[in-house]
Order: sequence, then C-alpha cells, then structure tokens
Amino acid sequence: MIVQRLSEIQHRCGYLPEDELKALSKRIGEPLHRIHEVASFFPHYLLKPGPDAVVRICRDMACHLAGAKTLHAAMEGVASEFGSGQVKVEGVSCLGQCDHAPAACVNEFVYWDKSPRELRGLVERVLAKEGLPRQEAPTDRLDWKIDPYFGGEATYEAVRRFAENPDGDAIIKALEVSTLKGMGGARFPTFRKWSAVKGSPGVIKYAVVNGDESEPGTFKDRELFRRAPHLVVEGIILAGLVTGAKQGWIYIRHEYEEEIDAVREEIKRAVAKGACGRKIFGTDLEFELEVFVSPGGYICGEESALIEAMEDKRAEPRNKPPFLVYSGLYNRPTVMNNVETMSWVPAILLKGPEWYRDMGVNGSTGAWFISVSGDVKRPGVYEIPFGLTIGEMIDDCCQGMKDGLTFKAIAPSGPSGGVLPASIPVSRLPAKFAASLPEGTTEFDVRTLPLDPSKLQSLDNMLGAAIVVLGSNANMVDFALNLVEFYANESCGKCVPCRLGSHKLAEMLQTLKKGNFPRAGLALVDELARAMILTSICGLGMVVPNPITTVLKYFPEEVEPYLA
Amino acid sequence: MPVILDDMVQFVFEGRTLAVPKTLSEKLSLPPITITIDGHPVEVPQASLKRDEAGRFVYDADGNPILRETTIFDAAIKLSEEAKQRGEDIPISIPILCHREHLTPVAVCRICVVDTDPNGKSKLLPACRQPVDKGMQVKTMATSQRVRDSVGLLTELLMADHPSPCAKHAATKDCELEVIAENLGCTSSRFPRRPKGEDRPHDDSSVVIAVDHSACIMCDRCVRGCNEIRNNQVLGRMNKGYLARIAFDLDAPMGRSTCVSCGECMISCPTGALTNRAVVGITPPDKRDPSKPVVVHADELVTMPLFEGISHPFLKFNDGAVVRKHYKDKDIICKEGDFGSTAYFIEQGEVSVYLSASFKHVKTKKGKGNHGLFGGFIKKFRSELVSRKTDRREGEGTQRFIHIGDSISLDLEKPIAEIKAGGIFGEMTCMNSYPRSATVRALGPVTVLELQRNVLYILQRSKKSKAMLDAIYKERAIESHLRSVPIFARIAETESEFKRLVDRVRPQVDLLRINNGDVIFNQGDLADAFYLIRSGFVKVSQRHLGGDHVLNYLGPGGYFGEIGLLTDLPEVRLLGLPSGRRTASCIALDHVDLVRISGDAFRSLLDEFPTFRSEVIDMAFDRVHENEKTLRDLESSSLASFLDQGLANAQSLLVLDLEKCTRCDECTKACADAHDGVTRLIRDGLRFDKYLVASSCRSCLDPYCMVGCPVNSIHRLNDREILIEDWCIGCGKCAENCPYGNINMHSLPAEWMSDPAHPENKVAVVQQKATSCDLCHGLSSPSCVYACPHDAAHRMDGQELLALVKASHK
Repeated sequence: MIVQRLSEIQHRCGYLPEDELKALSKRIGEPLHRIHEVASFFPHYLLKPGPDAVVRICRDMACHLAGAKTLHAAMEGVASEFGSGQVKVEGVSCLGQCDHAPAACVNEFVYWDKSPRELRGLVERVLAKEGLPRQEAPTDRLDWKIDPYFGGEATYEAVRRFAENPDGDAIIKALEVSTLKGMGGARFPTFRKWSAVKGSPGVIKYAVVNGDESEPGTFKDRELFRRAPHLVVEGIILAGLVTGAKQGWIYIRHEYEEEIDAVREEIKRAVAKGACGRKIFGTDLEFELEVFVSPGGYICGEESALIEAMEDKRAEPRNKPPFLVYSGLYNRPTVMNNVETMSWVPAILLKGPEWYRDMGVNGSTGAWFISVSGDVKRPGVYEIPFGLTIGEMIDDCCQGMKDGLTFKAIAPSGPSGGVLPASIPVSRLPAKFAASLPEGTTEFDVRTLPLDPSKLQSLDNMLGAAIVVLGSNANMVDFALNLVEFYANESCGKCVPCRLGSHKLAEMLQTLKKGNFPRAGLALVDELARAMILTSICGLGMVVPNPITTVLKYFPEEVEPYLA
Repeated sequence: MPVILDDMVQFVFEGRTLAVPKTLSEKLSLPPITITIDGHPVEVPQASLKRDEAGRFVYDADGNPILRETTIFDAAIKLSEEAKQRGEDIPISIPILCHREHLTPVAVCRICVVDTDPNGKSKLLPACRQPVDKGMQVKTMATSQRVRDSVGLLTELLMADHPSPCAKHAATKDCELEVIAENLGCTSSRFPRRPKGEDRPHDDSSVVIAVDHSACIMCDRCVRGCNEIRNNQVLGRMNKGYLARIAFDLDAPMGRSTCVSCGECMISCPTGALTNRAVVGITPPDKRDPSKPVVVHADELVTMPLFEGISHPFLKFNDGAVVRKHYKDKDIICKEGDFGSTAYFIEQGEVSVYLSASFKHVKTKKGKGNHGLFGGFIKKFRSELVSRKTDRREGEGTQRFIHIGDSISLDLEKPIAEIKAGGIFGEMTCMNSYPRSATVRALGPVTVLELQRNVLYILQRSKKSKAMLDAIYKERAIESHLRSVPIFARIAETESEFKRLVDRVRPQVDLLRINNGDVIFNQGDLADAFYLIRSGFVKVSQRHLGGDHVLNYLGPGGYFGEIGLLTDLPEVRLLGLPSGRRTASCIALDHVDLVRISGDAFRSLLDEFPTFRSEVIDMAFDRVHENEKTLRDLESSSLASFLDQGLANAQSLLVLDLEKCTRCDECTKACADAHDGVTRLIRDGLRFDKYLVASSCRSCLDPYCMVGCPVNSIHRLNDREILIEDWCIGCGKCAENCPYGNINMHSLPAEWMSDPAHPENKVAVVQQKATSCDLCHGLSSPSCVYACPHDAAHRMDGQELLALVKASHK
C-alpha cells in the first residue's frame, strides 16, 4: 500500500513531508528506508515542497522535433517575470501527447497546443489559487474493426459466451490461429502466454494490463482507453477466466487522468452488467478488476518493473528467469498483456480468428494500431493492417509530409530501434536482406518496406507501436542525442551497464554535438554499445545505444562535421 | 499464520538429518548434472541449502531450510576446489563485486557475466545468479573475447567515477573494484568523470563509520547486510538512474539515523564507501569535545582480560565502538523503557538495578454513574491502578521474582539488585533492540565501558571473552535467574533446598548463544536437554493439519524442552507422548541466550529433588493440556481465504453489522466510559461483506504482542485472553507489536512513590500501563455490545463470523 498512500499524502500536502512519512512507516509497519526508496525513485513524488506553479515541458522525440526547446526557453522567460521561487520550469519525459506536440504540464494537469501566452494564463490561475481546467480530448467511439460493438452497446458478449461454455483451450486455440502477438512491441504470441499461465500450477494467479505507455511517440493505448475502454476491460476478464486468474489490474500511467476515469467507469458498468466481479453472468466464475494508477516512469513499461511497482517497490526490472507467467505478481503466475493486445481479444473471439488473421496485406497477418508523430501532415492513431508499407502509411494515413518537407528518416519503434533512412545503399544492408532484392538494385527505398515485425527484424531493426517520421530538415546527431538523453533520464539505475553506460553515452554525445569530438571516441561508443547490449538486465539497457549506432551506420556524413 | 502446504520429510543433507518440506527435498534429490567451464567438466548438485557466512544453514520464518539453486559461480568454485585437491590449478576466472555467497544474488554489477551460447551470439549471463543447466557450456573471460571485452568495459565504467585510490585502497590496498581494475589493466578510464557535487557527498556524522558516497558502486551488499543479514532495516537505495545512491532511513545523516552501528555495512562494502573512521583517519567527534565520553582504542583494549581473545585488527577496525564513561553517585546510567543499542561493562564501582514502575494493573470500576432514563442504560466506569494483592485476577502469576533479562531477577517485594565490577548489563537491548528492562543507577562513583553491538557480538563469539562472561554468570547470576523461573518457584520456598539445587545445577550448565532464525530443535528430534532462557525470544510451534502452528512465545525467564525428557516417567506415560522425542519445534526469534541442562543432569535433579519433580510434572501437564486445546481450536477452523486476514484465528471479535449500524459510535463511547476515557476499541477495521470487524483484542492464536516484552509481563491465559502482569513498565513494546492496534497505552496520574534505590526519597512517577480489551470483566456483556442501541454489535469468534458471511452470500 506504499504507492497509493504516498500518492494520497502528496495529493493532500503537495509534497511528502518527513513527519508524514514517519507516521506512515509506523502505521503500516514498514521501515523508513523502504518508504524512502520508493518515494525517491519516482520523480512524480516530491520530497521537498516545490514552488506554487511548476511548468513541465516534454523534452522527447516528437515534442523535441516540434520545438519543445523554444517553448521551454519562452516559459523560462515567463517564470522570471514572477517572484523568485513562485514558478519553476523543468523538462519532463514523454507525456503521451506526441500527436499534438509540444505538450506541457502545469502542476498535475496535462496540456497541448498551448502558446506561451496561454500557459502563462494557466500559471496565473495557479498563483491566484484558482483551480486549473482539464483539457479534454474527444471520447467518441470510432468505427474501428477492433470494436465489435461499434454503433451499439458493449454487451460483453465474448464473456457471456465463455460463461455459457467455459472452454479455455478453445480460446487459446483461436488466439493461436489469429496470430495475435504482443502489441507492446515484443511481439510474443499471445496464446503462448495465456496457455503458460493456464498450465502453471497454483490456485492464485493474476492478470495485468500494461497500460504504462510511456515510450516517446506512443499514444495509441491512450485512444483505446478513452474511446473504447470496454475492449480492454472485456479482454482482461477473458484473460482471467481462461488462465484461472481471479484478480486483475489495469495499470495506467498517472498522467492519463481522463483515461483512468473512463476505465474506472467502464469497470463499474461491467460489474453492473454481471460481466465482472462475483458470479459472472450468474455462474460461479469470478474476476475482480481494478485500476492501478502508476507512480510513473518509462521503466514501468518493462513488465517485471511494472510488477515491482505494484508490489510497492522501486520499479526495477527483475533478473529473468523466472518469467512472469510462472512467477509474477507476488510470485504468482501472472498473465500480462499490452492494452491493445487485450483489446483485440473480444473481436477475435466474436468475429473469428481467421477474420483477424486475414486482415494483413503484402503477406503479413493481422491488424494493429500505430501512433504516428513527427513531420507528417496528420499525426495520430491509425488502425492499419500489418504489411502496409511505410510509404502508404505516410501518404494514405498521414496525408503526406508537412510543410513541404521531404521524407528523410523514420524511427519505426520510437527511440528503441534507432532510425532508418529514406533510402539505404545495398552495401549497408544485411547480406540476407540484400540478396532478397531484385538483381541490379543499388538503393533500397524504405518507403516500400512493409510494416511487419519480421521485415524490420531482417533489417536489424524492430517494429514498435511508435512511429516517428523525420523530414528533410532534421539534424540526425541532435535527434540521436535527444533519444539517448531520454534513456539516461529513464534508466532505473539497477545494473551498472545501464546506470553508468546510458549517462556516459549521453555525455559523450553532448560533447559530439558541440563539435571537435575525437574520432577515437567513436570506437569507445561502439565498445560501450556492445557491452550494454550484452550485459544489461533488461531491454532498456540493451536499446540505449541504438539511436546513435543507427545514425553512425546510415548517416555517417552527418556525423563527420562534428569530428575533430 | 504460516501455512506449510507441503508434508515434512526427513532428509539427509551433507551428513545432517533435517526436517524439510517435501517439495524442497524433491529438488534436493535431483541427480547431479555436469557442465563445462572453459572446457573443464564439473559435476554439481542442482540445488543445495542456503548458508550464512559461517557456513551454517539459514532458516526461514517457519523454521524450514531455504533452497538455493546451484549457480554457474557455485560450479566455478567447485571446479577450482576439486582441481586444487588433485594438485592442479584452475583459478576461478569469474570476478565478482555485488555477489557474496551468503547474500541473495541480485546480479546488478554484471561483472561476473559469462557466455553460455555455443554460437557466441546471445546475451551474456550473470554467473552469480544463473542456475546451472544440464550440459551447459560456459565460457568465462579466460576463453571468451566478448566476455573479456564486456567485463573490461564495465570495470572502466565503474572506475570512471571511482575516486582512486579510495579511502579503503589507500589504507589497506583492498578495494575490491580497484583490485579487479588492476588485474584487468584498466585503472584509468576513457569515460568522462562524474563531476564533484552534492549528489555524492561525504557523511562524517557517525562516530564509527565514515561514508563516502562517491566511492559507492551501488552493489547493494551493505543494503542486504543491514536488512537481510542483520535485520536492522536502516539502509536502502534512493533516487534512480545515475543519481541513485544509498541512504539511511529517509536519507538522514548516518549518525542521526536509526543505525545501531553494528558494522555489517562496513564489513560488506567492497570499496571505500563505508569505512572505519580510524582506518581512513577521520578524527571522531569525541576528540574535539573533552566533556563527551572517551573512545577506548584498540591498543588499550587488547590489554584488558575481557578483550583478550579478540583480534587486534578487529578492534582497530571497530575503533570508536567502545567508549569509557564516568558516573557520579546516583547518576542514572539507563532507564527502563528507553531504547538503545549499547551494553555496559562495569570497570569500577557498583550499580543498582531496579524498576521504578508501580506494580499494579489498570482496573475498571463501577463509578457513581449517570444512570439514564431506562435505568443503567449508560454505565459509567472509572479506571484506577490496583495491585494483585487487592485485586487478584484469574490466571495471574504468583511468582515473587521476575526475570528482567541480563540474568537478573528482581524480587517484586523489593525490586532492586546490585551488579558489581566485572559485570555486564544491557545486552538484551543491545543485541535485540528491546526497550531497557530496568533502570540502572550508580552506587558511588562508577566507570563503565559502553559497547556497541558489533563489539558485544564479537565478545560473545570469542571463546576467551565468552568464558569470562559465562564464569561471571555461573558464579553470580545463576541463583537469581533460577529463582525467577516458575518451575523452580516451589523449591525456592525452602531456601536451603534451593541453594542445594543451585549448587547441583551450577557445574552442569552449558551457556549457549543462538542466532535469530536458528532452530533449537525440531519436532520429532531426540530430546536430549532442558533449556532456560536468559534473554531473547523463542517461538514454540507444532505441526498440525499440514500447517505449522504457534503454541507459544517464550521470553526471558521462560523454559522449554522438559516434556520430551519426561515422556518415560510413569506419571507422564499415560499422556501417550512419543517416547524421548520433541513434541514441538523451537526457533530463536532473535539473539537468544540459553542455559542448557543435559537430559541426564535434568533427570538426576528430578530424582534428587522430589518437590522439583512434582512441580515439573504439574507444569508439564498444564502445558500439554493447553497445547491440546490450542490444536483443538485449530481443527474447528478452516483454511479459507479468511485466514489471510488472521480472522479465523480470532476467539472474540467485535462484529458490527453495517446494515444495522448507524455509525453513532455509542460502542466506542461506552468503551471509553468503561475505561477512564481511554477507548480500547476503534470502530474501524476489516470488512467482510456487510460485517465490520472492529479493532479490539482478537485474542489471536499467534499472539505476536508477547514477543519483546522486556520484563516478561504479558501473558496469555487459557481462554487466550491477554493478561498484563503488574510489573508492566509501560514501555509500549506490546502496543507496537500488536498488528491490529488493539493494545493501548493508558496513562494514569502521577503517583508519589518511594525510590527503590533510596527509600527515604519520594518521587513522582507518571504511570503508563498497557491495556487491551478485557471483555469488560465482571459485567454480563461487554460495554460496547450492551451500549449499542441498534443491535448491531456482537461478540463472536472467527468461525461464527465466517458462517454469517457465508450465510449472507446465499
């Protein structure tokens, strides 16, 4: 209960006063260091009273490309007009508003599309002790294929069918046929996870939805939560019923306030309909579901770190094995899926696994949601078939590049996979990939690359949920530095390679950016990258070097001017 | 309540017979497997049992050994040792920093990574944590270039921020990181250094230990040492990422934290981050202030008989942990109920030990009353302090002497004793962090050595010092100790007989020290001795219905182990106990000092002293009956989910029916009225369906409140109610222990009392006594139930509540 109680104290006092923490320690019988190690881990918790108004400007990827630094400087100017210590401006990690970058927070409230003048107005409201308005996003349902109930009421039909005929194996088989894979980016077959948890011995099991969505460039879960919360709720109920988990949580990042409210309301509705809670649709089936509000941080998206946070610990990834399906939350078998993965389950069961499988194009299977941001005309969330090419995505979904820019590069997995250029000389392609191209090809046009995990993998890259498109004016060294800085900010600090490596790498790139970087330093970057990939505990440490290694690989001419 | 779902089986492990859960024995019985390390085959067991630094088995809270999967690093050690026995040399080519065999592996430094992929492609794995797998082919840095590169680079990263040489390396050349860096030839780093700044400060606030955060590599060894090994719960990690560092409590300076200076963190630290001040040459504060106690340095300590067996380097390493203090006549050295972390050795002079609390308990009496309209609807009561002479409670002890630990017993009639030069006191508080059990005052000028825990610990482990302290106990304290043990009470009525018995016992006793968590004996073991507790607490539990159930907690002055020695006596045989076997398991909950009397010696005492024999048998019968009752109660309880809440345990719950309850709080008011304005009831607690279980004594089957009472004044009666004996000193430990907040401290007006040490003086003593729900003794129904105007409050046991909840579901 540490996390919730800290949030409660912070809400009441504005920060975490020492006396309150001491009283809490006594009340719940946990030593002071246990409370402090959690309180000091999450930047959301303040151990000292802060200024009256804090303006936090997102510093990551899409916001960075859209001029977050300029906004930050402008707000510094605004802050200096007020008395000292009244207003503070600081950077913050991705707020999940990449489609209307740059985003900002004033105290606890998230805003987007706001000019410095408008933000100033909000600051004044805070100083005048007036409440802040919440900027609301549209909640209307869209005609998505994922929503089998579109146009009508969500009746939890898939749950009802299971209640009538509780055949978990049939559902697992359906998931296998559908080819549904983990939409968080790891692409692990969903049926494998479910069947592992179902087969794990033990009476107590848990189900968790990973809705931490804190990776720069990713905001599709935000839309799914707000516009169609019934899908994720029905998905996790099914996961519970199939695997034998009787308790579940939907873990949502705390900045998603509207989304948290929407999911909470939907859980109430599901319980009222008899689809959740005790005696599901009159049977002996049961599943208790709650929202767990994340104390925040990108690392919480790593599934075992998320579990640690739920157990009131520092969100530090566990050493694996054991895997969560055998020993997860409170060391019980735990089924954890991304919001979108869970959300697809009802439609797959109601419309049939083949329906989902056959949606793919260009030899791929299935469909998915992408969050596109960066230099395109219409950034946003799109439901597309797997196999759609990058060119089709830019032109058809996003209506092309913005402001007359030409397509220069793409980050197909947020910051994690690094970048791909618009066109790759065959000499820089992996041999196997190059061999698959028609003879005589000298350049590979990345616009023709289908968005499919296996295709990206064959280019030594990966396909995540975040797609950031860069236009011709992008500075690749600056972009790589921004991405590596994100990781340095978000490293949990548990293992040496990531704690020290991500920071040193960011420092080295800052030096590179200033120019006159010794050429031998690049060899050290390379050595560090290899050691981080080989020795880090979790995926975060392993992907930290990708932004700079891919820039060095595909844009060496852009790095050249910075070298001594 | 610990529930073991496994059956227990006897298992022979490395020549020792252990009782282990079945699943654990299955894992231990797996056939050994062979792996290769750098091409050398080695055969290892798949699992073993966890041990501490000294190689002793470690047990969990339920007294079971802990399984430890064999890791690649374990296999590397075995390979190297076996080679040595054959006269070959296969060095362990896996460096370690964050790992030590007795600590739970965390695998954070990654310096021990090895390659297990024959294709040399996938991630490297930490040898300290990775379990061995059949046929595994391990390559260490001796044979793998990518392992060598990675280990070198990680070392370089660590060295980039390490102040080289750090305090430890400068003084003793043994900073583990710098040694590894020297061996790998990467003492200089190509990475930018961490700028000097506030985020990695020096902390010189502790008298003993110097903290240099800039030398810390976040290996987590000190944190595990503090919390896992010592269970002191002071050290943790703070912040995240590059700013992460260790912190005491809420990041307090070490010297102002709850740290007890046990020294474990300092011993655990591989670098110069936590070092002894003397070693790194930082002047302790006392040198600057002559009015403060004076540190006694190693050079002087080694000349004293008490420290004769302690190594000079240890004393030097712990410089500052022994200070000399001088007291004038009547100065108070320590006070009952205070917390502390030190013990005292009297060098010169004499001290008196006494209790200043009044020997009374809180009694509720009918007041004049405000009889309501309906005659007695509202009852008025008041509380006062009365002694057992005027208000005898059922089940109350009759003993005249009470044991206050430290091998001192006080006569309730005249609760004062003396300790002479050469004696030691305060060990129980020092070792186990219990409140001081008595007040100690100087009788004339006194010089004492105040010892920190790490020094006391090593004294008790050193043969010579222990022999000296044991001799003092046997010579001076044993008589007083035995006098306070209930089993000797009857024979103590005849002084000459008692003296004869003490003289018989004296040469026969062994004095033992048991570490927290260690099993003294297991149920079913051969009974070979009888034990008396000098200090610390012992958990007595019995296996029943597949679970392990606490029968009792025994504290200072307690005794155990007699039943197994009595089973073959004709009077006892009819109880049908297993002959010569232990009927329960006993586990040390903290540092426990025991007096062991061998089975033969015990039996000869029985033969020689008939009064003692009959007393022992009577008490054994009582114990056996009490245990049977406990287990009967268990049989009637089910292991429903209910168990998790501890409610099935409960014998008398105050249950509020929330549908009837109007939240008028009359029950709480009635309780407060009945107890002098101090309520023992809080209308809040766990909810079950429409029932609220209000906080009032649950009379738990596992009464954890009893652990830690420094004067052993909290007892449990046959009906499981808690009784607080008159000699409660009001320290509040039981109130702190009760997980349900149901023991409250009741303050009563100051009373003028004669000072036990100086009877001519009268002093005002503010009385504070522990109280718990007494079910309103003497009234037909508890006040709270009686007062409820809505029939919403009822008293019932856990099973009745379970039945109600179930019924309301149907």
